[in-house]
Amino acid sequence: MKPAEPIAITAAGVVTPIGQDVEAFWSSLATGASGISPIERFPVADLRVGHGGEVKKLTRITSWTRVPDCRATRFLISAADELVCQAGFRPLPVPASRVAVVVGTALGGVEEGERALAGAAPRRRLRGALYDAPAHALARWLGATGPAITVCTACASGATALAVGADLLRQREADAVIAGGYDILCRFVMRGFDALRSLTREVVRPFDRRRNGLLLGEAAALVLLLREADAAARLGRLLGYGSASDAAHIAAPDPEGRGLERAIRASFAQAGIAPADVEFVSAHGTGTTVNDPIETAALKRALGPRAHAIPVNSIKPTMGHTMGAAATLEAIMCLLASRHGLIPPTLNLEEPDPDCDLDYVPGVARAGRPRVSLSTSLGFGGCNAALVLEGAA
Amino acid sequence: MTRAPAIRGVGLVRGPAASERGGDVLSLGRPAPRASRSRRATRECLLALGAVEAMLEDAGATRAEIGGDGTALLFATAAAYAASNRSFIEGGGSIYFAYTAPAVVPAEVAIEFAVAGPYAVFIGGPPATLRAIWQAAILLETGACGRALILSVEIFDECADLYARARRFRRGPLVEAAACLWLEPGDAGHLSFQSARERGARDGAEELFACAPLAALAQRRREGLTGAFTLSGCWRGERACIEWSLPEPITASARDTAP
Repeated sequence: MKPAEPIAITAAGVVTPIGQDVEAFWSSLATGASGISPIERFPVADLRVGHGGEVKKLTRITSWTRVPDCRATRFLISAADELVCQAGFRPLPVPASRVAVVVGTALGGVEEGERALAGAAPRRRLRGALYDAPAHALARWLGATGPAITVCTACASGATALAVGADLLRQREADAVIAGGYDILCRFVMRGFDALRSLTREVVRPFDRRRNGLLLGEAAALVLLLREADAAARLGRLLGYGSASDAAHIAAPDPEGRGLERAIRASFAQAGIAPADVEFVSAHGTGTTVNDPIETAALKRALGPRAHAIPVNSIKPTMGHTMGAAATLEAIMCLLASRHGLIPPTLNLEEPDPDCDLDYVPGVARAGRPRVSLSTSLGFGGCNAALVLEGAA
Repeated sequence: MTRAPAIRGVGLVRGPAASERGGDVLSLGRPAPRASRSRRATRECLLALGAVEAMLEDAGATRAEIGGDGTALLFATAAAYAASNRSFIEGGGSIYFAYTAPAVVPAEVAIEFAVAGPYAVFIGGPPATLRAIWQAAILLETGACGRALILSVEIFDECADLYARARRFRRGPLVEAAACLWLEPGDAGHLSFQSARERGARDGAEELFACAPLAALAQRRREGLTGAFTLSGCWRGERACIEWSLPEPITASARDTAP
């Protein structure tokens, strides 16, 4: 397979429970700050677990004139506002018809449906419950009239969106792509994960012997993708992407992680790199009993003998599993690690699980400037995705 | 523009033509699951399995021929997940939560037919399906897969009362359908994809949402059209179009089944 054309990542914008811009996000990751708190925005008293990575108030934009009263849409637009400010993308420097929007989500605007069906909002708000409603609202806000695409590969959506966006540039279907992912906390998803008994009542402890579940979080993360020739400055490059279905179970990963291993190998092939080139891994690392050893085993097979020498982290203890946003946030984190020469830690990892025997950067950040990073994601439906990124430093 | 993939089969399971039965929603009913494993699956999942089986029949192929990690699976839908989401919201958790994720529809196909290659899920109407075909052509051209399945499913019955309140947003009755297209690397012809935003763009007298392009392809295949043809469709103001030139006649008859 011929390596794909690398795509420049030139700017980013985020809204997270640990910071509502890239600098604050990075600072919190580097210092090990926690964004986990009791959920206040909707009732959780009837659920086993009532805390997560909730954004208490959107602070970046104060006037929401002509923006739908939809929390998911507003998360996206807040992240986009930071991105366009960073990139000088307002007004758009290229024809609007050549600017595409590609966003990934696990939930779309489902909270709009939840509210409308419960009678808490007018029934006309059901249109906002379509999964592609926030992407179209973002495109309108940007003034972009190119493709507005929503991808939905569950918790791998943020990776799929970057890959589809890169393909739009490679195929010359667009000249600039704003790509990323988002999801918000709502009763729908809290009830769902509560019913699955996937949530922990304690803290998220990826790769720890005592881990017993994940926490959910809400976030939006966007990056600006350009062809290399059009990128003056950059955060880094997207070198490759791979995906693979487990074809095993709709809610649990393949017990041997074969799908994830195939996705990683496919990402290496598209990037034109060897396993030995990888210097850092951002793991999915949910902290569930099932995920972490499976992911560890897949990484060891895909990376080979060097696997134990490569730092691996999970940032999910910091802000919870942000679902559709997670893979994009983790990709941004990889590029920031390269820029700042620092690898954020895996929090709450104190008693390593013997089945999870890689170098997970426990507790505190570590000096290191990874050039090539691998970021892995898994989702419902046996979705596995891997991104290969290169920092600009 | 990329090399045109070869069409191995098209399967279509759809509700009756709008002229045959009145009503806002033309339903397909609930298929009986063949495998006991699928008993818990939602209706959209079962229809997806039915569409793949119809495609295999059209192709004269066995299920073993589409399995493996060399097969990509791309799914497009605009509304299929709405039924399970509503059920979960109103049913107090009676539906297994994982089935509210659109990704589980192709996952059921992947599990049933052992399809383990690259995948993607596009949300939207006909342009989403056309983009899935385009993405499949890219995957085939770059060697990322050896065959690709494009799946689309749309069901409406569970939310019929809600759609009835939104007549002004659609032109005709909503026709439930599930469709699957099997592509392999082609050795001649070209495929091009275009997409543009057009204010108020609409088409069709009945609404199959994401299934419309594959239903049109099944129809053309049944008619044995040769040479170049176009598939197009609109959704939320985006008009997308695929121009497909094929060197040989498209012959086999696509299965077009009413319940």
